[in-house]
Amino acid sequence: MLILNQLISQFLSNILDICILIPAIAIIFIALLKEKHSRQISILSTGLVLAISLFLLIYFYKIGNVNITNSILFIKSLNINFNLGLNPISFVLFLMANIILFATALAGNVHRAEQKLSSFLIILFQISGIGLFLSLNLFIFFIFWDIGVISLFFMINILGSPNRRTASMKFLIYEIFASSLLLFGILIIYFYTPIHSFNIQKIITNSNLIPANIQLVIFVLLLIAFAINLPVFPFHSWLPDAHTEAPTQGSMLLSGILTKFGGFGIILLFEMLPIFKLYSNYIAIAAIVSIFYSVFVLMKQDDIKRVIAYSTITEMGIVLFGISELNNFGLFGSIYAMLSHGLIIALMFLIAGSIELIYGTRSIKVLKGIVKNARLSAYCFLIGTFAIVGMPLTTAFIADLLIFIGAIQSFGLYGIIPLFAILLLGAFMYFIINKSFLSTKKYSKNIDFIRIEQKFVYFILLFFIFLFGIFPFIILKLLNPI
Amino acid sequence: MPIINISDFILIILSLIFIYSLFSIFNKNKKINFIIMLLLLLSLILVSSYLFLLSTNILILNLFHIFRFSLFFISFFSFLFILILILSFEKETQYFYTLLSLVIIGVLLIPIANSLITIFLALELISISTSFLILSKNEYKLESAVKLFLLSAISISIFAFAIVLIFPYNAQLTLTNIINNNIISSNYFIELALILFIVALGFESALFPFNFWVPDVYQASESNITALISGINKSVAFVAIILVLFIVFISYKQLFSTILSVLAILTMFFGNLIALVQKNIKRLLAYSSISQAGYILIGIATLTQYGLQASIFQIFAHAFMIIGAFSIIFWLQKQHNLNTISDYKGLSSRNNFAAISLTILMLSMAGIPPLLGFYGKFLLFSSAINANMLLLALIGILNSFISIYYYGKVITAMYRKTRAKIISFDKQALIVASVCVFIIISLGIYPQPLIHITQIISSTIL
Repeated sequence: MLILNQLISQFLSNILDICILIPAIAIIFIALLKEKHSRQISILSTGLVLAISLFLLIYFYKIGNVNITNSILFIKSLNINFNLGLNPISFVLFLMANIILFATALAGNVHRAEQKLSSFLIILFQISGIGLFLSLNLFIFFIFWDIGVISLFFMINILGSPNRRTASMKFLIYEIFASSLLLFGILIIYFYTPIHSFNIQKIITNSNLIPANIQLVIFVLLLIAFAINLPVFPFHSWLPDAHTEAPTQGSMLLSGILTKFGGFGIILLFEMLPIFKLYSNYIAIAAIVSIFYSVFVLMKQDDIKRVIAYSTITEMGIVLFGISELNNFGLFGSIYAMLSHGLIIALMFLIAGSIELIYGTRSIKVLKGIVKNARLSAYCFLIGTFAIVGMPLTTAFIADLLIFIGAIQSFGLYGIIPLFAILLLGAFMYFIINKSFLSTKKYSKNIDFIRIEQKFVYFILLFFIFLFGIFPFIILKLLNPI
Repeated sequence: MPIINISDFILIILSLIFIYSLFSIFNKNKKINFIIMLLLLLSLILVSSYLFLLSTNILILNLFHIFRFSLFFISFFSFLFILILILSFEKETQYFYTLLSLVIIGVLLIPIANSLITIFLALELISISTSFLILSKNEYKLESAVKLFLLSAISISIFAFAIVLIFPYNAQLTLTNIINNNIISSNYFIELALILFIVALGFESALFPFNFWVPDVYQASESNITALISGINKSVAFVAIILVLFIVFISYKQLFSTILSVLAILTMFFGNLIALVQKNIKRLLAYSSISQAGYILIGIATLTQYGLQASIFQIFAHAFMIIGAFSIIFWLQKQHNLNTISDYKGLSSRNNFAAISLTILMLSMAGIPPLLGFYGKFLLFSSAINANMLLLALIGILNSFISIYYYGKVITAMYRKTRAKIISFDKQALIVASVCVFIIISLGIYPQPLIHITQIISSTIL
């Protein structure tokens, strides 16, 4: 029995390397083999890692806690290790990233255009997404961050819609600005902690030895970097453009995974520099401003993708709000919100992509009677809308519940304010549904020709949305082991 | 009969190159020229890397100092020269080989120099033969060749004047002995000489106030010569800066650190800001290469071993990036007459290899991980923070951010969808570009060997 446990632990310690090795090998194969194979390879690679993460979910659920780490010496001369590890927080995001990546690889490229490039970039982003959530080391955190940014830049720049050039440059400039700040902050952390290390665990234990003014510099730099990525109100303007011009797979990854980098980063930041928990009220105010701003801007939009993009800003504002509550309800709620938002938004963007494919437009005013032609897409969009708003049985309900319980604990009744924004969001989304999806007065006679695997992906995403919505204890048991 | 040391072989091979340069004037067979040069350079690489492994440290005649630092740079520069040779194979006149062998001697003399006279001679050899190399193909290059010739003549005279200023103190020209560190604490003439040295070498390495020749010369000359100037001549000027400043003027390090940090900031801003508005691709790369010189200065200005290591790393990375980029531009310009960014529109559909390699090289120049250029910048900025120069690091990072705009502009242009005829492959450019891209990606994914080597050689200087 002891030997068996040892074997399992041996396997577990290597499993994280395998998770990064699989896409690394897959990307070489995609680059070398012919175009017709690339889609299969990308599905295989994402599917394998998804299978591993589901196995880990079951395993962790059985043993009741999440804790594996692994470290390889990477740059010996600078004493930089390739630390990978999973804790409850990163595991939830890791799981989410894998589900979305698999969904994207299977159905993302709705036009089936430039398969090789598209699969290459999806797998490049897979390396980035998996690596970032697994990393326990700020140096490799930064490297994976930038790989993700660059792969999405190319996805928008090469595969996007006609106005993609300005949007992709805007995205690149914002994100590289964020990563420059991030790099600067990481370097300062490295040289001002007494034990020079990039290891997050060591930084957490030694952060109180950093001089106070330097801590402030680090905090501001990293907070702005993560706020650009999240995005929060004054730094958000890359996101709607990038989403409108990105191809479907780009939007799914961008909103589903890339924005979570920022959320994950802010959680890490508060762990590393606990002094700044004093200022969390200001962050909460920034989050509330961002939430209301995005909801009001969202109401003026006509493009379905733009609406969904602004709802991302709203949701990520709620995530930031949850983090700023600084209690367990808020923290778990915001992680749950990231999980739920990733799954839902991937579904919504996929549907928006297929509707564009069928009707050739995304304008709410033009689209009529989708429910007649593309019944499945319309109903899935309806469910997705309910899920965004936080209908019971969906993941968003659990997330909102946790976040607002935490909000009332921390801020009293003021904590309920963002709830009104969610109501407004819901009202407007219902308006869209009513106007373009369900209205059957004048409808065009386009034929629903979306592929079977795309419908299968709707099913997968909905399955996980309801699975984690109906049985929240699967995740909550990992987050809060008793 | 005296026993010949292995370390003497370096001087013997250098003399062979010298002798060969005489014969190459009369040898019209380009293949034989190419093969002889290739063999000589390969043997240099072999000998120097063997000596590197033995960790040799030998003084020859007090004129040459062969140690790990110089051995690394000899093999590095020989490798770059092989790339240049491959790039210009069968595309140049026979005089090309004569002039190039003179440049090779000049470049390889600098890392092993132990005397200011050696450096002086080597600089003269390099700059005169480079000006003729620009001229060698046709007469249109006359203006830029004359410009380069005049400016290098002036810079070399400044160098000579600086030598004159410090020579009287010890009546010696050996690098380690030229200033007796014990006597002089702050001497006006020596400080002036220091500034003059920086000015003279700043011309060669294209630092801010002395770099106005760079865009014109880069644009006017053929791209294989541009690759030579920007990849090798610039790097060797930095080697000379490191030798002169860290060995001769080590007791004045606070002064030159201040000067170099100011120059670094100005050079970075100048290069990056002007590159933002460039339309010609060679001018754009010229300005970007200027800004890279600014980054390299950061490491030298920190005065630490870590900073020196970072500078050497970045010299290495920059040479491969710029030679790779110019090899592709050489091919596209010479055979298909693509000059401006708008000519590069739709390059990916015309020749995918060219677009992908240029993309990787430019992303590396912009410092995107996991490519070699990122580690160079990472080491440079971290060395600045390590030396408590937070402002310098911040400005460096800011500049690195600015540069993403113009690289992004070129990349965006290359992936536009246009219908134009397909560009055929050019074997030489293909080889050189793939070698550079391979080095950038493989050392980018696993940089430990290069970081280790640069750490060793920087410890031999400081």
